[in-house]
Amino acid sequence: MDHIADGLEKAIKAIKIGVSSTEQEQLHRELDQFLDWLEPMLEVDPGDLEGLLFSHDAVNVLREDSPRKSGLAELQEAAPNFAGGFYLVPKIME
Amino acid sequence: MELRKTTVYQAVEAVLEGEVTAHQVIGKTIKNCSVLNEGLNIFTSIAGIDALEQAEAIDRKIQNGEKPPLAGIPVAVKDDLCYGVLPTSLGSAAFNEFMSPVTATVVERLMDAGAVVIGKTNLDDMGQGSTTLSSPTGPTVNPWQAERAAGSAGAAAVATGICMLAVESDSGGALRQGASHCGVVGLRPTTGRISRYGLNAHCSSFARVGVTAFSSENISGILDLVSGFDERDAATAVCRGGISEIIKNPGSEDMTIGYPVTAFDHLEPDLREIFEQVRDQLGSRGYRTKEIDLGLLREGLQAYYVLALAEASSNHARFDGIRFGKGRETDSLEEMYRQSRSEILGKEARRRSIFGTFLLSKGNYDRYYRQALKIWKLVRQHFEAAFNECDLLMLPVAKNLPRPLKEESSYLDQWSDDLFCAPVSLSGMPSLCVPAGQIDQFPIGMQLVGPPFSEKTLLAVGSTSGPRDMGEGPLSQ
Repeated sequence: MDHIADGLEKAIKAIKIGVSSTEQEQLHRELDQFLDWLEPMLEVDPGDLEGLLFSHDAVNVLREDSPRKSGLAELQEAAPNFAGGFYLVPKIME
Repeated sequence: MELRKTTVYQAVEAVLEGEVTAHQVIGKTIKNCSVLNEGLNIFTSIAGIDALEQAEAIDRKIQNGEKPPLAGIPVAVKDDLCYGVLPTSLGSAAFNEFMSPVTATVVERLMDAGAVVIGKTNLDDMGQGSTTLSSPTGPTVNPWQAERAAGSAGAAAVATGICMLAVESDSGGALRQGASHCGVVGLRPTTGRISRYGLNAHCSSFARVGVTAFSSENISGILDLVSGFDERDAATAVCRGGISEIIKNPGSEDMTIGYPVTAFDHLEPDLREIFEQVRDQLGSRGYRTKEIDLGLLREGLQAYYVLALAEASSNHARFDGIRFGKGRETDSLEEMYRQSRSEILGKEARRRSIFGTFLLSKGNYDRYYRQALKIWKLVRQHFEAAFNECDLLMLPVAKNLPRPLKEESSYLDQWSDDLFCAPVSLSGMPSLCVPAGQIDQFPIGMQLVGPPFSEKTLLAVGSTSGPRDMGEGPLSQ
């Protein structure tokens, strides 16, 4: 089985769609055409350019990364039951 | 009141001044919808009593002294935008009775301003295409020539005067191609300007919500009402502190419109001649026009399809019969998935999902997908460089006249129709499609493209460019 036929079969299986053998043959021909159609794009040499990942330039607004007191001791004190580094909860499984 | 010859401003004034009630406007509109829909197949569903009740509520507000800025304006909504009152088919026969629990932000904002949704408009299979030829309910007929496709049903609704505004999605060019083929004006906004909440986007990176109207003035009248931050769409965060509009005075001699010569080389001589005439007219109206280089259009189109198909394959995963769609009763979970998904996704959506999965698979990811991400960046850089030389760009919208309804065309031919629109989608820049001229009876549109948030400049220039008179409209033919 050639690379495209193999990849096509895996893709059909992965996306869980029922495809008849006739349709699969047609898709094979179309995928062949499509990959040929993409050749000019592959011939562009972008050098070591990093590709875009997002369509807009907005970035997350993050607070300054500075160490702060965690308050873990207060949480442990407030917990009904804490032992050995774990918060103990009622057993729910036999 | 004839909607096609009336501006939004004039129509609202007429309703606010009591010359006509919102109820009368909407009642007549719904009647027209039903009549015209039989021949043109514009709507997947038409509003009834709900729209009339909304119109009555607007009339009561006016009686109580309120002045809704879009009082009684009839709006069509593409059927991939959720609206809780009418079914949202998403372009799939499996969803023709699906009532969305949410309403898209853009629709909410229009309704808050007094507009009334009069119907949901036809679209391609799962919203994927720029022709409506793959619609499960059949294509929308071009109102200018009944043997050809409209491109988009919202544009056809506006062109026929059924409604004053249409809100539509545009990923690779559906809104713009429709506006071009139907002789109306369509705006694809800057990324983040109009919230996409409530839109079923097949490719999230490029899907935008835009507006189609009969004139640039009509879009100007509503742009601020639908724009701005929406906490339910992260892309609108760029508008959180207000929108930094780029506004230039149209016609001023210091405005330069770039003319990418190589783009027009793709056109047949008669089409090219129309754009050369428009360029000369712009020059005679005081604009400076300048020939510029704008490369990678063809490669940008190809990169768009790699990225759009890859994203579609992921976005369509939720249509599994459990999260969305009616699950079939079968012997196994796998078979349930297969049957349900085969029912939901039509031929075009299946092709795109399968190809997209192939492109993302081991051995193909680097060769195709990663390369397309780089081309995306290069295309954006090309547009940014162009705006160092000019204020706006003019580009064609369509390579060809609208597709004939009865002529088979290959999927690659149809995808290639997006040659001038898809690269603009990659750029993230706003684009306004305005009529540029006509060949025989067919309207031909052109794109004015500007830097981010230059929509108001585009609309101002759009209102002074192109032919002012498209005759009595398509239905007079």
